[in-house]
Amino acid sequence: MPLDTSTYGLALLRVDGRRWNELRRIHAQIRTQAAADGSSYLEMGHTKVMCVVTGPSEPGPRRGAAGGAAGGGGGAGGQSKDAEVVVNIVIAGFSSVDRKRRGRGDKRTLEMQSTLANTLAATLHTHLFPHSQINISLHVLSQDGSLLAALINAATLACVDAGIPMTDYVTACTAGSTSTYAANDEGADPLLDLNHQEEQELPGLTVATLGDSDRVVALVCESRVQISRLEGMLAVGVDGCKQVREILDQVIKAQGQKMILEGTVDKGTGLNDMDLD
Amino acid sequence: MPITILPPKQTPQPSLPPHDIDSDSDSSSSNGGADLSLSPPSRKSHNNNNNNPLFTNLVTPGTLITPDPQWMRGHGTYIPPSHPHTIFSSLAGITTRTNKLISVTPLRSRYTPEVGDLVVGRIIEVQAKRWKVDINSTTLASLPLSAINLPGGILRKRTETDELQIRTFFSEGDLLVAEVQSLFQDGAAVLHTRSLKYGKLRNGLFVAVSGQSGGSGVVRSRRQVWTMEGRNGGGKMDVILGVNGYVWISKHVETIAKELEQKHMGITNMEENVSAGVYSSQNDGIDGGTMREMARLRGVVVALVENGCRVDEDMILRGYEEACEMALMMGEGGVEDVYLGGERGEELVRGLRGR
Amino acid sequence: MAQQQQHVLLSPAELAYLHSSLSLTPPIRPDGRSATQFRPLSAETGILPGTNGSARVCFADGTEAIVGVKAEIERTKRRWDDDGVYRENAQQHQEQEGEGKEGEGQEGSGDWVELTVEIPGLRDDDSGTAFLGRMLGEALLADGGFVGRLRVNRRFHWKVFLDILLISPPLSYPLPLLSLTTHLALLATRLPKLKSEGDEDPFFDDDWAAARYLYARDPVTKKVVERPPVTLLVMAVGGNIIFDPSKEELAVADVALAVSIGDDATATKTKEDEMEVDSSSGRNLKLLSIRTVDPPSRLTPPGVANAANSAYGHAQVVNTAATQKMPEARQTESEAVEGVWKPPRGGAKASVMGALVQKVLVKGGVADEVLDALEGVDTS
Repeated sequence: MPLDTSTYGLALLRVDGRRWNELRRIHAQIRTQAAADGSSYLEMGHTKVMCVVTGPSEPGPRRGAAGGAAGGGGGAGGQSKDAEVVVNIVIAGFSSVDRKRRGRGDKRTLEMQSTLANTLAATLHTHLFPHSQINISLHVLSQDGSLLAALINAATLACVDAGIPMTDYVTACTAGSTSTYAANDEGADPLLDLNHQEEQELPGLTVATLGDSDRVVALVCESRVQISRLEGMLAVGVDGCKQVREILDQVIKAQGQKMILEGTVDKGTGLNDMDLD
Repeated sequence: MPITILPPKQTPQPSLPPHDIDSDSDSSSSNGGADLSLSPPSRKSHNNNNNNPLFTNLVTPGTLITPDPQWMRGHGTYIPPSHPHTIFSSLAGITTRTNKLISVTPLRSRYTPEVGDLVVGRIIEVQAKRWKVDINSTTLASLPLSAINLPGGILRKRTETDELQIRTFFSEGDLLVAEVQSLFQDGAAVLHTRSLKYGKLRNGLFVAVSGQSGGSGVVRSRRQVWTMEGRNGGGKMDVILGVNGYVWISKHVETIAKELEQKHMGITNMEENVSAGVYSSQNDGIDGGTMREMARLRGVVVALVENGCRVDEDMILRGYEEACEMALMMGEGGVEDVYLGGERGEELVRGLRGR
Repeated sequence: MAQQQQHVLLSPAELAYLHSSLSLTPPIRPDGRSATQFRPLSAETGILPGTNGSARVCFADGTEAIVGVKAEIERTKRRWDDDGVYRENAQQHQEQEGEGKEGEGQEGSGDWVELTVEIPGLRDDDSGTAFLGRMLGEALLADGGFVGRLRVNRRFHWKVFLDILLISPPLSYPLPLLSLTTHLALLATRLPKLKSEGDEDPFFDDDWAAARYLYARDPVTKKVVERPPVTLLVMAVGGNIIFDPSKEELAVADVALAVSIGDDATATKTKEDEMEVDSSSGRNLKLLSIRTVDPPSRLTPPGVANAANSAYGHAQVVNTAATQKMPEARQTESEAVEGVWKPPRGGAKASVMGALVQKVLVKGGVADEVLDALEGVDTS
């Protein structure tokens, strides 16, 4: 039990020393790969994820049933009026404590690919690039809980880096509850950002929101939890997403500022500048 | 030293320690929601750079630009259905204003074709009456059979024979220089090569530089094509900077003068003779000196891109002179030393910026 | 676009230009490097604290690879002739016939190493990926001594899992990049220190700082006693031998070889007394394997000479007569026309291959410098 209830009750500290509403250390970088259209590297605690985005570009040859195992596709098909978002997740064998090799056809991986593709297809302005394909390739280097959330955040960062227009950042976070299903425990606290131990033992969910608003883009819950706890967890998760958005925004802004200072981009003209004739 | 292994570049530490965010969490959640103010909202942060006037036009996706209905929206922006007349940014980039039109140019994006651009492209697919050309954009451009010059300056309607022999003109993998004639509705370009200066490329080498707007890439300068004199015994070289980031460096071949001299033909037959060889795949002989200078020039272009400089005629010419001087002063092999990767490239760019 | 990346697309004119440029003496490479110069790369180790050893290598053009090494204790299968000392030489041929690297129920100690390669955009069982995995694994096992380091006692051994990830799409032939990264990861791999003795159930020291390197360091000189193998890509074109070819250069190669080299342990031992200060002349290299690589040049379409090009020079009287006779069929097969690309035919000459291997192995040559440079990477 990661939350030895006696200890938690005393100091309200989790196993890694955090309080109920604290995120783990997030470290994010973009432009990690020069050759790709967009790339990013994200760490949420010990969960480390790399993302590479190619596109929008010409779609590959029509993937029929034969290529079905290669990746989930979101949005409309490749030949229709929207760009198709194709996600590919590779979970490295060394990512977990025990070395475990996952094949490409692993069902959990396929499901994550599909969730991610649908989430992004709903946010990216795919109608601007008909008959094209956006390829998102993710590599999981280390897992310590909140994997889907980290993947969504890394994919968002990489898409912003690639210059693909979108409605807003899609940020994700996990939330859990200190009480188990059966306990009739009124004092149960919701927890923000679960690590691997907590994820295995406590009920939790992954929620992704759009930018600063409360609009939920994706919600994944695979454990059993009492319905009364759900609202608390959701509120904590959404708040965590907003915090994550702040951090990701700072990373993008820092890159933009660096480019302006180096002179690679113009400083632009805004609303308040003098009239140009 | 044949192999150089560098330590990885230090990544700048994020200026935002996570604990500060947490202590602000309660207050920032109450600030959630878009500010409706005229200037781009300054997000609550500890980075003082946000107030720097240099950065006021930097926006990120989902940032409100203005709620004022007098503005029209351009590329890189959108109006959400829930808030009509408010313009939001959909990209990370810089706002630009032209009269009443607000648009956002991204920090980095794929090449988007515009009418009149000079582009270098590679044939990917040969279809019934046209070719599909890769111009480093979101979709393949198309080059119709009717949009090319027939060799010898012949003016006639294309027949079925032409369609059957379509590969004699351009085949898969061929490089060509063309101009964007028009755009389809979805943004795909339609190319044409109806001029003496366009056509199949040979006698040279190809470089692809990535990035277009903002991020280091080829810019739309006044002269995209020029001829320059090579130093150290090299001959004349042609440089073609495609706006899409594809660059072609080749040996300058004096076709017109040579043909006129040999055949004693008049000006009226010039076009016939010049375009006689336009679909040839055979290289003319090139001497080692010219090849060396072309490799040096290629190195200059790549070094400029890798170190974040603009790539246009002026920079390339200056870079080439600097590279020649560097080779004389520092290279072990003297003028033979052409290598400009890694550190040598950085030195080159530093030298250029210093001037 | 994933399928197209396997075959680099160049026009016949470009190929002819590259071929003549690389055939000059000295060869002029498109990026200006000398024939023995490698592209600059950045390398770091120890990036994944959850693994026994890890490394990441990036080339300047953006290709990137990450390798992680994990080790687990496994019970040794009993063998008939178990005498406590394992020799692989007799087992080599058997392992290389079947899926030796995966170790599915095979006898012999080659199955103590499991190596997987992941390339984005390709399926697991893609032939190119499987072949890459075989080549990398074979170089490791051909060493002979590697598997011996994994032995704990007669009943237990370490099973080592090498997971090789290519992060960027395969723009150029990924073998040398993956091999360099694997080499570095192995150099940085550490195994916990054994505290048990004899054949009892093994237990280890919890202190990671006490862990010993898989490739032991000499306590005096702090240098690696015997280095892991490395595989280099070498090509020959028009009489020149070129190292670390880029994808354009490979496209015009006459011959391309993947050469695996390792330290010659026996030779190193005899030289210990001489206390060579200059390590490059104190180490002998031995050839572990050679694999021919089918260069993409063979798949390229030939260029068409002007004389046979029906789109060339309709206005000229001379050529019209020539094209009417339809000699194209004969002309494309005849001797090479200058400036027209012809894909290479036939195999490599034995003398060319010999020269290639010689150039790689010569003392103080390219292989030595590569291995020394790799050793210089900080693996603490």
